[in-house]
Amino acid sequence: MVKVNELVDVANGIQSKRVFWDQEVYEQELERVFGRCWLFLTHESQIPDFGDFVTAYMGEDKVIVVRQKDGSIKALLNSCTHRGNQVCHADSGNAKAFTCNYHGWSFGADGALAALPMEQSAYYGQLDRSKVGLREVAKVASYRGFVFGCFDPAAPSLEDYLGDMAWYLDTWMDGTGGAELVGPPMKSILRCNWKVPAENFIGDGYHVGWTHAAAIKILGGPLAGLAGNAEFPLDDAGLQVTTRHGHGFGVILDGVGLIHDDPAYREYAYANVPAVTEKLGEWRAKLYTGHWNAGIFPNCSYLYGTNTFKVWNPRGPNEIEVWTWTLVEKAMSPELKAEVVKQAIHTFGTAGTLESDDGENMETCTWSNRGPQTRKGVMNSQMGQINDGEHPDLPGVIGKNFIGETSYRGFYRFWAELMQAQDWDAVRANDVAWKEPLIGGAVKAAGRAA
Amino acid sequence: MNAPTLQAFSPVQPDETRPAELALHHEVTQFYYREARLQNRRQARQWLETLVDPDVHYWLPIVEDRFVRDNRAAPTPQDPAIYNDNYADLSNRVDRLETGLVWMEDPPGRARFLVNNIEVYHTAQEELLGTYCNVHVYRNRRQRDETHHFYGREDLLRRDESGQLRLFRRKIMLDQRVVLDKNLYLFL
Ligand code: FES
Ligand SMILES: [Fe+2]
Repeated sequence: MVKVNELVDVANGIQSKRVFWDQEVYEQELERVFGRCWLFLTHESQIPDFGDFVTAYMGEDKVIVVRQKDGSIKALLNSCTHRGNQVCHADSGNAKAFTCNYHGWSFGADGALAALPMEQSAYYGQLDRSKVGLREVAKVASYRGFVFGCFDPAAPSLEDYLGDMAWYLDTWMDGTGGAELVGPPMKSILRCNWKVPAENFIGDGYHVGWTHAAAIKILGGPLAGLAGNAEFPLDDAGLQVTTRHGHGFGVILDGVGLIHDDPAYREYAYANVPAVTEKLGEWRAKLYTGHWNAGIFPNCSYLYGTNTFKVWNPRGPNEIEVWTWTLVEKAMSPELKAEVVKQAIHTFGTAGTLESDDGENMETCTWSNRGPQTRKGVMNSQMGQINDGEHPDLPGVIGKNFIGETSYRGFYRFWAELMQAQDWDAVRANDVAWKEPLIGGAVKAAGRAA
Repeated sequence: MNAPTLQAFSPVQPDETRPAELALHHEVTQFYYREARLQNRRQARQWLETLVDPDVHYWLPIVEDRFVRDNRAAPTPQDPAIYNDNYADLSNRVDRLETGLVWMEDPPGRARFLVNNIEVYHTAQEELLGTYCNVHVYRNRRQRDETHHFYGREDLLRRDESGQLRLFRRKIMLDQRVVLDKNLYLFL
């Protein structure tokens, strides 16, 4: 067992560099993080009809996500119950059956074994078909059309897992009557640990001005002042949020469309404010016109206001497969949707002007820890800690500025909790006190050697 | 068929019954070699200004793995794509490179473009030529960071008023469903 308490010091905002490299840590993550959490699979709009499917990853496990006759959705392990071959090799499509290439066992859209060659002559009718259906992922559920799966039957419901984050997600998932994803996803490789982009997207407002200096400079607009991390008036410019199960975000208020600075999109968003206020109240109306860099624990990230939506599929401790969709609101006109897709891809697609800046850092953050002496060091996420606390109107733990590391600390707090817990019951036991180590921290470990 | 068609992209098609004459073929070959050299030397601005048509459309579709029997339409430029750029978009990418703030290119990486299998055809429009070619880009950066990309191009080249050939349509067919690189910020 990995000694998790040696890896993460929540109260002091410190993580061991081993969390980005170690094989042993990774194996435990596959079991305890990816084996237990709700993982993003697809959006319902991608599989509207019976037999529509997409293939996806849940950690390192491959699954087929398929619409059932009754309209529900199942996720099936993409592995034949005969000799283990992968049964579906397409990205997406419509199928009434998935037939294995190896010996021809054929499974229905519900995963049941429907037919097999020579059932009588080779098995003498003795094979109990009911025992050899494709293994079903224990739980599949949608939150406002976003479909997630979970391997652990003892996990909380998706709604409880999202918890306070759902209150925030409603801002853009429900404010104007729903959001959806435009696919198919782009797919690319990054040679990095999955947590590096996850922590970056969950709240790194600090890197924007520096890492993306070139892109921001040529984009112009109000954000251009950030290029090179020039001074920026931080007070009241935004905030950071972290919630019970490690989800979180940083928001730049009034930042919607900032990176694209697209007048049509900004007009659309601001025109919706009265309706969103009426439906969801003042605070969420304020967040609705913000720019969010956000994460749904563990490995799903999005930028609302730049409208990119990503999953970081782990492929070993130092490689991921990045899947990228564009996030749109259903209520947008087809023209605006097309424009949003174009802008999102130009910035955060596989050839994106900002994506390419990030990839470099993600990889180097990972590979620098290959050296065992380097790996003995620690990483610092103490920014803004002194200002973290509860808020009268907002759920979760709130950091005062959007440039801060509140949501990092919340991410690693929950990661460490899961990695140590025997099961979900052990996690539930912390429900009451989870905020404590995050709140009121002076920087206790200032001066601890890096 | 899942392969995106040039029809979706431009009504003008290469007329495969009318291959270019030797001199014209040579002119086009030199066009591609010059383009490759400018990219090798990272002279993106010069590439844009001397070889690209102001009405360019530059497209790299996302091509899914789909079953053969899948009869959904092939991707069009209305679908999400890795590149779906006009001149202003390309110019914006070049501007970024010229800010002096692109840390990933400092120290600069190295790229080598190899262009071959060049076929050139006339089209129904005198000023447009249809071409096919295959490209291999080798990218090496930061000591040992190494990637290869193989792709096909289906281009339309347009002769401008001064008689110069310019890139008018480019459809890039990347032979990777999962891009085996951290990004594709390259002028393919
Ligand atoms: S492994 Fe699938 S039919 Fe034998
Ligand atoms: Fe970034």
